[in-house]
Amino acid sequence: MVNKGETLGIVGESGCGKSVTALSVLRLIPEPGRIVSGHIWFKDRDVASYSREELREYRGNDVSMIFQDPMTSLNPVLRVGFQIKEAMVAHERFDNKTADERVVPMLQKVRISDPKERAKNYPHQFSGGMRQRAMIAMGLSNEPDLLIADEPTTALDVTVQAQIIELLRDLNRDMGTAVVLITHNLAVVASLCTRVIVMYAGRIVESGPTRQIFNSPQHPYTWSLLQSIPRIDSTQHDKLLTIAGLPPDLSNPPPGCLFHPRCRFRVDRCSKEEPPLEEVGPEQAARCWVLMKNALAGAEPVR
Amino acid sequence: MATAPSTFEPGPDSFVATDTYEVGERMSAWEDTWRRLRRNKLALVGMAIIVILVITAIVSSFWTPYDVWRQSLGPTYQGPTGKHPFGLDDSGRDILSRLMGGAQVSMVVGVGTATLSSIIGIMLGLLAGFYRGWVDTLVSLLINVFYGLPDLLIVLLIVAVTQQRGLGNIILAISLTAWLGMARLVRGQTLSLREREFVEAARSVGTRDRWILVRHIFPNALGPIIVQATFVIPAAILFEAFLSYLGFGVKPPTPSWGAMASDGFRSLQYAPHIILIPAAALCITLMAFNFMGDGLRDALDPRMRR
Repeated sequence: MVNKGETLGIVGESGCGKSVTALSVLRLIPEPGRIVSGHIWFKDRDVASYSREELREYRGNDVSMIFQDPMTSLNPVLRVGFQIKEAMVAHERFDNKTADERVVPMLQKVRISDPKERAKNYPHQFSGGMRQRAMIAMGLSNEPDLLIADEPTTALDVTVQAQIIELLRDLNRDMGTAVVLITHNLAVVASLCTRVIVMYAGRIVESGPTRQIFNSPQHPYTWSLLQSIPRIDSTQHDKLLTIAGLPPDLSNPPPGCLFHPRCRFRVDRCSKEEPPLEEVGPEQAARCWVLMKNALAGAEPVR
Repeated sequence: MATAPSTFEPGPDSFVATDTYEVGERMSAWEDTWRRLRRNKLALVGMAIIVILVITAIVSSFWTPYDVWRQSLGPTYQGPTGKHPFGLDDSGRDILSRLMGGAQVSMVVGVGTATLSSIIGIMLGLLAGFYRGWVDTLVSLLINVFYGLPDLLIVLLIVAVTQQRGLGNIILAISLTAWLGMARLVRGQTLSLREREFVEAARSVGTRDRWILVRHIFPNALGPIIVQATFVIPAAILFEAFLSYLGFGVKPPTPSWGAMASDGFRSLQYAPHIILIPAAALCITLMAFNFMGDGLRDALDPRMRR
């Protein structure tokens, strides 16, 4: 799904399975959840079949993750520098001394001022943005091939959000680490990601290059998401579109297309058969019977 | 024409300030705890008494006014006098000296038991809380079984089976009954801490389980552990005194407050000082530890502050 050095965005409403997907990649799904079927391919090997020790080596070394809330993701009783060092010592890549020496440059790389002093601080002496930077430093300290950022900016205020996103972009460019960005924020996706996956009710409903997804979304869900963002060029009386209802209860999913109860373009077939994820354009795929190009060509949808 | 020097001129330098910005005065968690503990007068009194006790116990190991075992035939049951401020006991031994020696036994038993039972309790609690499953079932079963057995029975059995009454043996015996509370506490703390995000974050970078236990979970549970250990000390001291009173404690003539009280019990009517003095020492010690424990609990848990 993710190529080397690429930035992929995963978007969707709350409860659409974005975080679970990310946790699955690291095999960190909280109990009693488990991977029932399917595979996770990393460099031609299936992560789902890894042993405990392989898994431990894989986490951090190959793929690492930063979490939504930097306030709780750092251990309050340990110094920040120590926690970053710990991430490196966990793998045999660096010995104790090299790991020690790498802490300060890592903090510098994520643009924490006065990194030497800051490494000795405890997390409570850090601001939210700094903690998220420290988390990123921790995630990148082993130079993984992939960094999964699960809503890295949700808990931060807007100005800091921009800094973090910028940081992720620069690190992606400089270090060649592929980034998977999970977010609600479509603007962030547009500015950072080369490819987008739209998820709904645990399934990929659309995927493709960012530009194409934003310019000609094919799945009604993607289209609705984009329509629900206020635009600077919309006129005063344009109403924002909302998607009525909530994502379905997955223990009792609706028949057919999972989105059809909330879809304004649905046809009879939608409630009977689930559509497959099909190619709809160059590198673009969508899971829909109707597709927006057909829907919009016809009559204006009923509001 | 010279302009008046402006007092406020945001030059390019004003943005460099971050380099010289001084981080506010640092206070470690321990300093913070100490600051809060200092405000608690009762805890301070308790600590002062404990310090005196510890000094007494150390001094008694190389000096007491009289030898703790030296008996005299004449002045048995003698009340307090200038030469013997706490009087003499039924065998004519100096009570002050024996009290000092008894302090040593109490301290060693108290601290020894707290240490040993904490080690057992912390290890079992961490394992049970972290791995859950059958480990947890086993440890919990063990706790419940020990909980159901009377403490005295366990201790008497161990003393009887090993046929030894040295300090080490008594510490071991009391520890085997005292680890339950610690194990339960640590298990509960671990169960809640293992779900915290920093544990998940540590896991996501590939940290080993034992490292997570030792560096992430244990330090975060340290506060309650210290408090629990502090409360184990007076309980162990009391238990030792109780055993000695029954005659199962350290071997005479090693002085123990419980044994001294037991000696004095027979002469309660005509020489009450023999029982009153060790009993008072025991009371004061227990209260001192309990006050300090209470103080520590309040000081280590900032959320409970009034």
